[in-house]
Amino acid sequence: MPFSYSRCLVIELSEEEILGKLYQAVVTGDTDSVVATAKEAIEKGVDPVIAIEKGLSKGAKTIGDKFEKLEIFLPELLVAAEAMKAGLEILLARIPKDKTLRKGTVVCGTVKGDIHEIGKKIVAALLSANGFEVYDLGADVPTSKFIEEARKVGADIIGLSALMSSTLGAQKDVIDYLKAVGEREKYIVMVGGGPTTKEWADQIGADGYSATAPEAVKLASELVEKKRS
Amino acid sequence: MVTFLDVMEKALTGRPCSERDYTLKTFAVRLREIVKEYDIKYDSSSPVSSDDSLADDIFKAAFDFFVEVGAYCRDTERIIKFEESEIKEGLRTAPARVVLGEGKDARALIPRKPEDKTPPWCFLGAGGGPVSTEEVFVSLLEGYASIPEVNSITTPALTSVSGLRIRPKSPLEALGAIRNAVLAREATRRVGRPGLPLMNTLATAESATSLAIALHPKYGLRTTDGYMIAIMDPMIVDFDRLNKVCAVLSFDAPVGACFDPLMGGYSGGPEGTAVANVAHHFLAALAYQASWHLPFPLHIKHVCSSTPELLWIISTSGQAISRNTRLLSLNLNYTAAGPLTEMCLYETAASVMAAVVSGLSIEALGVATNKYEDRMTPMEPKFSAEVANAVTGIKRNDANEIVKGLLAKYMDRIADPPLGQKYQECFDIARGRPSDKYAELYNKVKKELDDMGVKFQH
Repeated sequence: MPFSYSRCLVIELSEEEILGKLYQAVVTGDTDSVVATAKEAIEKGVDPVIAIEKGLSKGAKTIGDKFEKLEIFLPELLVAAEAMKAGLEILLARIPKDKTLRKGTVVCGTVKGDIHEIGKKIVAALLSANGFEVYDLGADVPTSKFIEEARKVGADIIGLSALMSSTLGAQKDVIDYLKAVGEREKYIVMVGGGPTTKEWADQIGADGYSATAPEAVKLASELVEKKRS
Repeated sequence: MVTFLDVMEKALTGRPCSERDYTLKTFAVRLREIVKEYDIKYDSSSPVSSDDSLADDIFKAAFDFFVEVGAYCRDTERIIKFEESEIKEGLRTAPARVVLGEGKDARALIPRKPEDKTPPWCFLGAGGGPVSTEEVFVSLLEGYASIPEVNSITTPALTSVSGLRIRPKSPLEALGAIRNAVLAREATRRVGRPGLPLMNTLATAESATSLAIALHPKYGLRTTDGYMIAIMDPMIVDFDRLNKVCAVLSFDAPVGACFDPLMGGYSGGPEGTAVANVAHHFLAALAYQASWHLPFPLHIKHVCSSTPELLWIISTSGQAISRNTRLLSLNLNYTAAGPLTEMCLYETAASVMAAVVSGLSIEALGVATNKYEDRMTPMEPKFSAEVANAVTGIKRNDANEIVKGLLAKYMDRIADPPLGQKYQECFDIARGRPSDKYAELYNKVKKELDDMGVKFQH
């Protein structure tokens, strides 16, 4: 195809527009628009890495910052995370496996006997928004289910949430189970939730504890980096 | 009148819906709209509101919202809806008087109005906070039962049984619940107040099975105790919680429904959380047949009820309930700071004041966000009760000015609060009294509040 300056210009503007649309669609939690725009990006030849970094991730960062300041609330955070996830599925499929942008894979859930999910959902949403692949198993998750799922998806991290002092013990059960089946070293185990403390995490042999969702994201990144290095 | 069987039928035949769609598409969206329709606006200059029309608008908005949106049953994955007439009848026929306790400690819990001169019911203790040992549990209970203003006890939660960490839904949980009942009753006997009602029975029983096991009469629980059962945020029930309701109603005891709409969560900002807090009362009255209500709205980040937004939520939703219904409602407060800190006492004073002048009674309290083992003493609920009695009958405007003064003393530390000391560190357990340092700090803060206009009775 002969070189055309004007054509280049059109593509350049179009890419900017597409990135802007992706950003906006994540910020407004519009999954349909994210999906359509991600497909459009691929059709127009936008580099999927750039589409993720300058479109989806930029939008996710805005949402995370706004939630931290409580300029937006949980529903907006959750729909933005859903939109981000839908966009990532489309764009990541176009990136060679050895060039993955994923920071790591997390299997998380609220432990057996505990039906509280809000804190865990916030952490899962922020992890997704920050480039982790997250498998959220929901609430009241049996001990072995965490391990089966971690094996299945090749998880880096198992995240265990508990809100009640009476359900904390189930966090220890998952770690003890991992030890018993000889797989403790395979996974990073992070704990969190209402009654969880640093002392408790140390006592049961967890790798990490954080009091807030943003701290959990930071800690997850550090722990995965440390493990991989 | 809606019966418990009607509730089950609604749970089985209501509109099918995923929990995701109920919470994000129905609850959150409609709540946001209705707040706009009623033009409800948060006023940061009035953490304790004096606006009657705002309270009434919040009540009407909550009513419309509850009629339209209903509640969600997690087990049947269906929406439980009530007709307008059913809700009105439920509110009209809800108990306006419940006698709790026995002998000389029997008292009637009655409704209050804003600026009411009737002292609030003081439901004092640990709010289910975790304790490390049975010795600490009993010692704390003795301290709570010795507070002169106490009307009922809120126990801590045991975390282990004979050294074994409790596991949810296990026999260890059931054994823990039995010990919770037996030890709490024993502690009230030891201080000569065997008739005092326990009202968060049983903090250690998260599952319905454990509750039912510990209800056996030989463990000392009575139909004049209160039985607290949770509604999950936002307006979600499940079979395990409904089983607890079934057990308590069969025992012919009063159900108390507790609920904690999170500010910043599904309900959105202060306005939506105030409306949701009121709507949870309606759900409790109908689905749980609740005789009394325990709202404890919390800040999603700071997990306390002492920020200006939370005080506004307590005050406006409290007035919405107390002005428009006869429901028996007690606000539970959480502090960010821990024992032996001035901040903890300032925080609980602010929350208690917002509740009492708005027509609510109180449960006090969850100390240091209620998450740390043994980080509570009898001093914080004692202080809360003294403040509650001191501010009974004062004007909302006056309370607002005092509360603003208190907020100025602690809000700069709300994100990184001092955790203070553990029970064993700031209390002489053997002699049942605070350390000299804590007694000194306690009196100093009381003097500060007195200077601000809180006139203590002793």
